[in-house]
Amino acid sequence: MMRKVIGIIVIIVGLGYVFMSFDFLPVIGDSTAPAHTHVSDYYIENALRDTHSPNLVTAVLADYRGFDTLLETTVMFSAGVCAVMILGSKSHIRNRFLVPKKILKGKPEPGVSAYKTVNKDVMVTLIAIMILLYAIYVLLHGEVGPGGGFQAGALMALSYIVSMMIAPDTRPLFSLSKANAAALAGIGVFIYAFTGLLTVFNGGMFLEYGRLPFPVSNEYLHTIGIMLIEVGVTIGVMATIITILKAIIERVRFDDDRD
Amino acid sequence: MMTGIEQFLADKGIYYLTFLLLSFGVYGIIACKNYMKKLICMNIMQVAAIVFFLSLGQKKGATIPVLIEGLTNADSYINPLTHALMLTAIVVSLGTTGVGLALLTRIREKFGSVEEDDIIRRQNKL
Amino acid sequence: MSPLIIEAILLLALIAITLAVIFNRDLLIVIITYCAFSFIAMFLYIVMSSPDVAFTEAVIGVISTIYFIITLRKIDRRCK
Repeated sequence: MMRKVIGIIVIIVGLGYVFMSFDFLPVIGDSTAPAHTHVSDYYIENALRDTHSPNLVTAVLADYRGFDTLLETTVMFSAGVCAVMILGSKSHIRNRFLVPKKILKGKPEPGVSAYKTVNKDVMVTLIAIMILLYAIYVLLHGEVGPGGGFQAGALMALSYIVSMMIAPDTRPLFSLSKANAAALAGIGVFIYAFTGLLTVFNGGMFLEYGRLPFPVSNEYLHTIGIMLIEVGVTIGVMATIITILKAIIERVRFDDDRD
Repeated sequence: MMTGIEQFLADKGIYYLTFLLLSFGVYGIIACKNYMKKLICMNIMQVAAIVFFLSLGQKKGATIPVLIEGLTNADSYINPLTHALMLTAIVVSLGTTGVGLALLTRIREKFGSVEEDDIIRRQNKL
Repeated sequence: MSPLIIEAILLLALIAITLAVIFNRDLLIVIITYCAFSFIAMFLYIVMSSPDVAFTEAVIGVISTIYFIITLRKIDRRCK
């Protein structure tokens, strides 16, 4: 009861203060607002010449502010490692780690499905392949349309989750253990950082794609650079999501289980 | 009538609603005693922050930030900077949610519950 | 109808879902409601004409719902 009163007081005081001091905020849709006057005009007008990427969000994310995205990917990687470290302690208690496939194997399949012509395993295999194809499409077309590395990584992880959770008896498209997934996330971050280091070795600045050591014209070097770091981001995000999922799901102990 | 509502919304209304959403998230974090609800309310607060940033980046009569051939004017495209920042923020929120759920699982193993009252009672008993 | 009015309606829906999350007692219902929350947030981002953010929110909302439901196997469904 006490904390509800405290919450309501905090809301009223905070909202009152915010509503009274709202005059400095610009009108929505005003093209002379402070957010549009400093650097974003330069991004919009010069993105095609500088980065050769029609999607401005990808241009800002991967080229102008590539260092920012490198650290964001590192944050995701360290989140996955943190989840493994939090849930991987007390290794002597063996029976807390249950692999779900072993639980399901002993039990009989309950019930009869209502639609006998639809096989769950076959459908899931088809859907997982389609999601994977769409993820690759999103990864390759991230510069032209909406999409990019983060979305492609999440979609790839989603295809793995679908094939692992709905049909655990069938063979998934690719299988990853918890340790392998964490290592793969590290590899993704390494690909990103190594792309930056390649430009440094060739005499440029960190993540300056014009100095990549490939024998193509300057126009394609930016495309190759953005593609390389998006592959790194994709692998990092996919492996991190699978790592956290596995770390939580392998620790699950049912409420009716006895030690 | 309709233009009056639009003028009010563009002037202050969207900001009011966004901060109302943010403050309900704060209220949920303070008032709920279940740790999982607190995590969900944290995600709700984050959506409010994202909406605030995106509404700062809007321009009237502008299109989405994918370049169209022949249209190079800076006033024709929405500010892409806020979109790039918020895109990474959403992905990082997934990482924080995962770490929070890992901590939740550990708390459930150690204390036998995720309710705050039970945990405080158990802590006093130990 | 102007986009600002649609934004206001969607924001009101988000506030209503937030109230449902705070005052519900069943955690499974809370999680499914949160899934609806991220779905409506996705529409809000589309109306704000940011397709990249909407795409990310659509995928990430599904995955965080899966995380919550996996953790729900471990903890109690009722909450006081």
